[in-house]
Amino acid sequence: MPPTAALKKVFNTKSLKKGRPSQSRVDEGDDLEEWKKSKQLLRPKDQLELTEPELKDIIARQLGTNDPLIPQNLIQFNHAQGAFELIPPTGPMIVVYETQGTQIHKESEEAKKQVEDQGLDPSILEITDSAETIKPDELQNIPEETPGDEETQEEESEKPEVDSEMTEEDTEKETEVGEGEGEGEGEGEGEGDIEGEGGRAEDEEEKHHHGGKPKKLTNQFNFCERAALTYNNPVRVQDTQTTPPPMGTFSANVLQWVIYDAYQEDYAAQQLEKELERERKEKEKAPVSRHQAMTRKLVGKAQLSEAVQGRVLECWKVLERMVNQNTFDDIAKDYRYWEDPSDEFRDEEGTLLPLWKFTYDKTRKNTVTDIEWNPHYYDLFAVCFGFLDFMKPLDEGAVCLFTLKNPSFPEYICMTDSAVMCVDTHPKYPYMVVIGLYDGSVNVYNVQATCKQPAFRSNNVTNKHRGIVWEVKWAPDLPDGEMNFYSVSEDGKINNWVLMQNDLAVTTIITLFLAKDEVFGPDGTKLKMKGCASCVKFHPKQPLIYLVGTEEGNIYKCSTAYSSMFLLTYPAHHMPVYRIDFNRYNSDIFISCSGDWRIKIWEDNRLEPLFVFDVGACVGDVKWAPYSSTVFAAVTNEGKVYVFDLNVNKYKPICVQAIVSKKRNKLTRITFNPIQPIIIVGDDKGCISTLKLSPNLRIPCKAPKKQQHLDQWTLQCMKLDKLLSLVREPATLDIPEDTAESIES
Amino acid sequence: MGDGEGREKQEETKKIIHTYPLIRHSDMPEEMKQEAMELVVTACEKYSTNNEAAAKMIKDEMDKKFGPPFHVVVGEGFGFEISFECTNLLYMFSGGNLAIVVWKC
Repeated sequence: MPPTAALKKVFNTKSLKKGRPSQSRVDEGDDLEEWKKSKQLLRPKDQLELTEPELKDIIARQLGTNDPLIPQNLIQFNHAQGAFELIPPTGPMIVVYETQGTQIHKESEEAKKQVEDQGLDPSILEITDSAETIKPDELQNIPEETPGDEETQEEESEKPEVDSEMTEEDTEKETEVGEGEGEGEGEGEGEGDIEGEGGRAEDEEEKHHHGGKPKKLTNQFNFCERAALTYNNPVRVQDTQTTPPPMGTFSANVLQWVIYDAYQEDYAAQQLEKELERERKEKEKAPVSRHQAMTRKLVGKAQLSEAVQGRVLECWKVLERMVNQNTFDDIAKDYRYWEDPSDEFRDEEGTLLPLWKFTYDKTRKNTVTDIEWNPHYYDLFAVCFGFLDFMKPLDEGAVCLFTLKNPSFPEYICMTDSAVMCVDTHPKYPYMVVIGLYDGSVNVYNVQATCKQPAFRSNNVTNKHRGIVWEVKWAPDLPDGEMNFYSVSEDGKINNWVLMQNDLAVTTIITLFLAKDEVFGPDGTKLKMKGCASCVKFHPKQPLIYLVGTEEGNIYKCSTAYSSMFLLTYPAHHMPVYRIDFNRYNSDIFISCSGDWRIKIWEDNRLEPLFVFDVGACVGDVKWAPYSSTVFAAVTNEGKVYVFDLNVNKYKPICVQAIVSKKRNKLTRITFNPIQPIIIVGDDKGCISTLKLSPNLRIPCKAPKKQQHLDQWTLQCMKLDKLLSLVREPATLDIPEDTAESIES
Repeated sequence: MGDGEGREKQEETKKIIHTYPLIRHSDMPEEMKQEAMELVVTACEKYSTNNEAAAKMIKDEMDKKFGPPFHVVVGEGFGFEISFECTNLLYMFSGGNLAIVVWKC
């Protein structure tokens, strides 16, 4: 629309020009003038040139209600009539914003109705009308008065909501408060002439309530918001959750060959199990392996580490022995090869060559109470550490197994809490060691399994001797394979112990009652005197027969078949009999030693000894040599070892040698090695000395020229028989007994 | 395949045919395991030609005894990966050629 634009421009410039003088801007006027002066007004080329009167001419313009832009004659197609029809013009008004007023004119019908609804007299409208300007406080009363009613109304409307949201208590409280307030206000407003009205209003209000009048209308004057904040009850989750049951996943493939393999595997395992079971049963038959079975039960790592330890231990043991062999190289050579050459020039006499000494640090104070070579290993021997000096009792004891291959340390150590007095190693199972203790109990160790605790232990209260156990001895196994042993004790009893599955079963086979009358005990009781057994020896050929030496000096010949009587009583010694030993070659011959300084050789069923030797000191132990029927050795308290050979000299020992110092030490026990020409002696300082017999002490029998075919055994027996035949002769010419007794070394 | 099996069978007959029930895997309590095993053996013997019936019987009995829902698979060759409620799984072989899986879930 270029023409209109141009027209506007014209109009603008005109109005500018026109309005300039009429503008009453004083302050701005000057600036504008100046600005105009400085600037040349640009005129459009097509501006009309008007004359002065033309310019002054006022063109009056009128604003009319007619809008030229409103469309005229709008039509619409009426489908009902099928023709166009006129739409009435819309008019010039445009509604931009529309809102409904809440005010009502006082004089209108509506206002009257409202007042009536509120229960007020319609005349109030006139009153208030007149008092509007005079009493503004009354005006206030009107809206203020309403809260009471409003409240109730609100309550009514709110109640259902409140019920749903709040607890009943809360609602009641709320209504009470509301009512209280309403009443208070009512009272507060009760001044002047309104008082009566207030009361009336209240009355009427009650009527409304009961009468169920139409609800009053609300407007902005009688509406009062009374917001109440109620407690927000915390939200609680009511549902419960349990942990789901544990689940697992499993997967496998089933194929025929899988099944087949599984069966094969299982069958093989079963076979193996059966095999093991059989082995176990076999082993369990022998109670010896009870501990092995137990150790086998140790599973997993423990077993493995034990095995590893065992192997390491074995290596260490070998190393230790090698070191010892180097250390005691000369002794080892002596032991093996040294034969005293001076024996050739010494007629009929021999010497003892000291070899190793065995001690164990923890038992230095103990006395060696028994020593015994192992029946299976010729280099191994068991030593008991206890005490014989009963004025100085010791708490601890031990049994140690030494080997000649390691003189520095015991191979096995079994510590006990009481002094060990005797030991015996089972001939069939060389690892089963039985010991008798000072406190009267007996223990059986399986040293192969463990040395820490006995495999069997007699009950400390019920199953024990009432005195020192002086000697223990393994007996041949019972017919059903159970091991058993005998023990003799100071209390005069000889017990037989059977190794059951778990414990020791004990039977007293004999009580050594003395052949004396009963003596009177306290409170009129009578006691039968009992002998104190101090040693026992079983007959090597007749398993029932055994000899018991007592502290009274008697030697009883007994049989395990009879528990009440002795087969024979030898009045052997005047002091305790310490040891008895049967001759290896002739089991009718036995030797005994005693504290009465004497060694006596006896023949079975002969109450008089064949030989008597007095060595001038208490004889601790005496033993027949295994290699000769006529050689025996004894040890005395004075620290000397005596070796006799009856074949060489019937009156004097062929060797007397002091092994330990006479003043300080005593020798207690002696044993021949069954194979090697050595003896070991134990003393009271816990030391065991090894001695090698010189050649003169072990001369083998020379077969007569006529009987070259005879072996050594027969020759030895012949030698002894020949000797005995000399002694036995009743009408003996040369050896009266007293002569023999008087002989002293 | 058929040939292979035949050869295998022959070898087996040469050796020993194992038909005893063999539990391959189970986390059931001992009593339950024994009972389930006996049930499986009974069912497999009763319906020796019909694995489906055997499985149904096992499932029904197990449901009755130990409470549903049990699932049972009886077959000679299959693979499985299952989720089961702990202490309710039994995987065993029976009769030398059958595998039985019983589980609860």
